[in-house]
Amino acid sequence: MSIDTLSPLELASPTVVSRAAHDFAAVLAATGPFMALEAASDRLRQDRAAQHAMQAYQAKQQSLQAVLMLNALSTDEQTELEHLREAFLAEPAVTAYLQAEADLRTMCQAAADRLSEHVGLNFASACNAGCC
Amino acid sequence: MENLTLTPDMVTATASLGVNLRQAEPVVLYHLARETLEASPEATGLLKRLSETQANVRTRQTRGEVTPEDMAGLRAVQREVQTNPVIRQFAQTQQAALGYLREVNHDISELLGTDFGALAKKPGCC
Repeated sequence: MSIDTLSPLELASPTVVSRAAHDFAAVLAATGPFMALEAASDRLRQDRAAQHAMQAYQAKQQSLQAVLMLNALSTDEQTELEHLREAFLAEPAVTAYLQAEADLRTMCQAAADRLSEHVGLNFASACNAGCC
Repeated sequence: MENLTLTPDMVTATASLGVNLRQAEPVVLYHLARETLEASPEATGLLKRLSETQANVRTRQTRGEVTPEDMAGLRAVQREVQTNPVIRQFAQTQQAALGYLREVNHDISELLGTDFGALAKKPGCC
């Protein structure tokens, strides 16, 4: 069989696919996990303690960038950096954000798995070309 | 398992997009080329021979036994694969279909304001 032997009814027009993609995005944007991530993201931006912890961690990382690249951190530096990282990750706003992101990822992975089953190609891998 | 993570609305919207994507021209062309490839003993035989030759060269490389003849043999099979019209058609339509999926993902991501494909990527999927 070739493409010429298929009737136009057997092909989905670009407009139809575009509409289905639009509907899919709209439904996804209205789900609990998507809205929860947006809320968690807003909260994270506005949470002073979380922002302070993030800035402290990032500032230390930047100050140690050269030694980090050389993988030559001293034990003290390593311990301090790890404490700052743990303090940042322990902030409730950060924990909530990471949990919301993980929930949304789970849902998007399930949706992409279904798309892949229909299409016969791995949707997520196709969209992340060059990741290997 | 999936139903636990997808709302009924998401199941419906995902199925609708999946069905339409499967019927989109680049994806239809890919599946036609794949069927042609699978039905071609010459093409499948060539791919099998390439895979076996590559495995053989890898094994010999680990033992430090690769000869110029081994490499010449591998390059010869690679040339045959690259010039086989059925395999070329399959590879071209596959790239086109993957590119098309990236375009669709781009549209979805623009509407969402975040990269759907990146969220859907599984750790270690490569």
